[in-house]
Amino acid sequence: MAGVWVYAEVKDGKVKKVTYEMLGAAKAMAQKKEEPLCAVMIGKDISSLAPELGAYGAERVFVVEGDAFERYTTGAYTKAVCELVKQHQPSIILFGATINGKDLSARVAGRLGVGLATDCTEIGLDDQGNLKVKRPMFAGKVYAEVVFSDRKPQMASVRPNALGVPEADPSRKAEVEKVEVSVSPEEMGYQVVGFEQVGGGKIDLTEAEIIVSGGRGMKGAENFKMLEELADLLGGAVGASRAAVDAGWRPQSDQVGQSGKVVSPNLYIACGISGAIQHLAGMGTSKIIVAINKDPEAPIFKKADYGVVDDLFKVVPALIEEIKKLKAQS
Amino acid sequence: MEVARELFWNVGRAGNLAYLIMGIAVLIFIYALYERIMMWRRGGPERRCDRAGERLWGVITNVIGQLRVLRETYPGLMHGLLFWGFLVLMVGAALDALDHYSGLHFLKGRVYLGFSFITDLAGLMALVGAVLALVRRYVIRPRALDNKPEDAFVLLLIIGVLVTGFLVEGARIAVQAKEAPWERWSFVGWTAAGWFFEPGGSLGWHKALWWIHLLLSFLFVAVIVNTKLLHIISAILSTYFRNLKPQALKPIENLEEAETFGVNRIEEFTWVDLMQLDACIRCGRCQENCPAFLTDKPLNPKDVIQDLKAAFLETSRPFLQRLRSWGSEDQQGNGEGRPIIGERISEDAIWSCTTCAACIEQCPVFVEQFPKLMEMRRYLTLMESRFPQELQTAFRNMENNSNPWGIGMHMRGDWAKEAGVKTLSEDSDVEFLFYVGCAGSFDDRNKKVALAVSRLLEAAGIKFGILGVEEGCCGDSARRLGNEYLYQIMVQQNIETMKKYGVKKIVTMCPHCYNTLKNEYPQFGGDFEVYHYVELLSELLAQGRLKPSKALQLEVTYHDSCYLGRYNGLYEEPRRIIKALKPKAMKEMERSRSRSFCCGAGGGRFWMEEHLGRRINHERMADVERTGARMVITSCPFCLTMLSDAIKEKELEERFEAKDLAELLKEAVGV
Repeated sequence: MAGVWVYAEVKDGKVKKVTYEMLGAAKAMAQKKEEPLCAVMIGKDISSLAPELGAYGAERVFVVEGDAFERYTTGAYTKAVCELVKQHQPSIILFGATINGKDLSARVAGRLGVGLATDCTEIGLDDQGNLKVKRPMFAGKVYAEVVFSDRKPQMASVRPNALGVPEADPSRKAEVEKVEVSVSPEEMGYQVVGFEQVGGGKIDLTEAEIIVSGGRGMKGAENFKMLEELADLLGGAVGASRAAVDAGWRPQSDQVGQSGKVVSPNLYIACGISGAIQHLAGMGTSKIIVAINKDPEAPIFKKADYGVVDDLFKVVPALIEEIKKLKAQS
Repeated sequence: MEVARELFWNVGRAGNLAYLIMGIAVLIFIYALYERIMMWRRGGPERRCDRAGERLWGVITNVIGQLRVLRETYPGLMHGLLFWGFLVLMVGAALDALDHYSGLHFLKGRVYLGFSFITDLAGLMALVGAVLALVRRYVIRPRALDNKPEDAFVLLLIIGVLVTGFLVEGARIAVQAKEAPWERWSFVGWTAAGWFFEPGGSLGWHKALWWIHLLLSFLFVAVIVNTKLLHIISAILSTYFRNLKPQALKPIENLEEAETFGVNRIEEFTWVDLMQLDACIRCGRCQENCPAFLTDKPLNPKDVIQDLKAAFLETSRPFLQRLRSWGSEDQQGNGEGRPIIGERISEDAIWSCTTCAACIEQCPVFVEQFPKLMEMRRYLTLMESRFPQELQTAFRNMENNSNPWGIGMHMRGDWAKEAGVKTLSEDSDVEFLFYVGCAGSFDDRNKKVALAVSRLLEAAGIKFGILGVEEGCCGDSARRLGNEYLYQIMVQQNIETMKKYGVKKIVTMCPHCYNTLKNEYPQFGGDFEVYHYVELLSELLAQGRLKPSKALQLEVTYHDSCYLGRYNGLYEEPRRIIKALKPKAMKEMERSRSRSFCCGAGGGRFWMEEHLGRRINHERMADVERTGARMVITSCPFCLTMLSDAIKEKELEERFEAKDLAELLKEAVGV
């Protein structure tokens, strides 16, 4: 039995968004190959999430549950995926290129002795129905197009946010097939005893998907409260330009730029930051940049996707109001 | 009685003992010097024996002429009096000996009177110099001087030699005064005779003083090598073996095969480096001109040299033991020294240097302070990968995109496309390659300068082109951050590209590109005629090919870039261009030309945070403020950025602006 498989990563009781993205692309591939589209879900107390994957096209979800899978461990998860693969012989398996996805995909490919294309930004099939992917190389300066030979399964990991989430059809449910996998302590290799959060629960700048950043235009440390509120509403983190850090308004660890942190969030809101090249070097690869600045000549506007030429002390409170209203509605 | 002086007068045959004592003193001196030379030779090789005439001329002007010493009035005068005084006394003593032993006996009559007057004057000069030194060191106590017991010992020894000399003379004159009234010409001795001795004098006192004077003098000779007096020898050597080449860092030879890079042990320095450690007399002029020291950073170039000297002396001890036991050559192995970095020189000190070269510029004995720090950076970066973490980004960006900001290298020529400036790939039949550099290519502020240079060259009818996407980072920052490996890769790529187009002449807009292209690329076979735009534009103005029509209605000041000024001597060219701009007034800063104060960005400091001490660019901006000028003119993208930042950070936008010279000339010419 063949199949196009997607590894559905679950974190904190939620399916990672990249799973939906992959299902969207894999659905077309499965149709073209006339093979079933399946998902693999591993964890503890997660089976209630499985049927929902049907909304994105998954016909069947293999669920591996148990205490051994409460937290991600390379040994247990690799064994689970490999056993499923041996039983069902899928032709294609896709993983999200998340921290755990990168780890798992590499280990599975190694154990199965097959190739793996990592961190892909496009996936599809060639004329023979083999997996064909595009992956950026040399910091995005060139793209490699990779076509797999017919050795199965053909494996790839997909960069989050690269494909986009397809439209869901909530009426469709996937069939759930529970699979028992037992893992011995030797196979686990190690045990996760616990997690310790560093940095008091704040989102790390380099991992934040949304960053609200302030510069010299903030005029004082106390005004950053406003940015913190905005960041909290959006589920993001607060960053700062070098000017704001130098002025002592923010700690060094918040600095974004050449000599601070290099970030690449989905949304970067720059408040009162002129956009000197030293700053742009640290956030220029953000997906969407919004600039709020009084000075229409500020270089940040050249880089920004959206710009507001106005006093940030008017714009930011208004923005906070609007977002609060939207949140109240939904 | 003959108008002359009898040697060994009143001392008699006992004077022969003096020869023995002198012999011992001279032998001690010679052996100690021999050991010292062997110690210097523990260092690695370096070729400093070319251009003998030029080297000798430097010794004549700077040792005999005291040129660099005299740059500072009080200490210059003080040292000049001491030096010239002793020089004349030495010549005098030699003549005395010649007069006596050759049998020529020319020191008589009027010659003797002149001789007496001149040697007395010289002794007095030296004495005044020594007293001035005493006053400066122990009364005025400038920050530049640190006091060690040795300083007092040496000064008191000098004063002792001089004073006993005059007293001996006085004692003799007191006895001879009646029958030899011409001894008035020995005016100091004559005065001493009147002050300290009964008329008629005392032969006993004379004899005692004669021996004391003699013993002190020979003690002086014996201790030269092992006290600060060593600089009598080492300063001459360090001046002779000074660096005659433009300011360039040495290449690491055989980079692919070398096993160690840079310096972390004292023997890894060259013999010139080690000799320079002995030439340093702790005058503190480097310290008082060091931007890092003056902004409270943990770097003091004087301490660097002295701390290295301490390591040098310590590691020389076992070496000398072997030498003294006549150990065979192979036992004199090197590498026994302890690491310098961390133990003698802190990493913070090593990374605080801006490579502004003020230390070298001000050193009276041509010690090269900061290049030693660069060798230690090489060790840290290449051997240990230990550097301020923010440099990781800069290095990676230079590797990936050939610019420290990491902006896509395909965008390097974008500014030129908009401006209609051609690349060599479009038209390589040009006189000049305009090497734009990273700042001019990527930074919005400095793109305006690149554009201004282009427009001016066009207006003057110069045929030029840029490399566009084929241009790479010049590598200056990488090299000065110790990353020689990365530097050489970038240099090779650039040279290859330039040779492909048959480039002969290059004009740059950044003094850092300029310096490395001009003075360092030849180390790798890149021999081009390299100009900075201030050279080219001032020449074009002189030829009348650029005609400024608008006057600049402002009071201005000019900030000398280290890499144009101290590194390459371009002080007048930018000022000629400023003159052509017809500013309302040109107000020089107190620290200008060779004394110019760094903006803080050189030596790769631009890519680092400035966590320690005060901001160098704020300090420099204070210099600008004191002139009362409204505008500070720069000719370097780093300086322009640093001073613009200082204006913003100090909230001085209303009162000051920073502009590049090329921008202003472009406006004045109206293109």
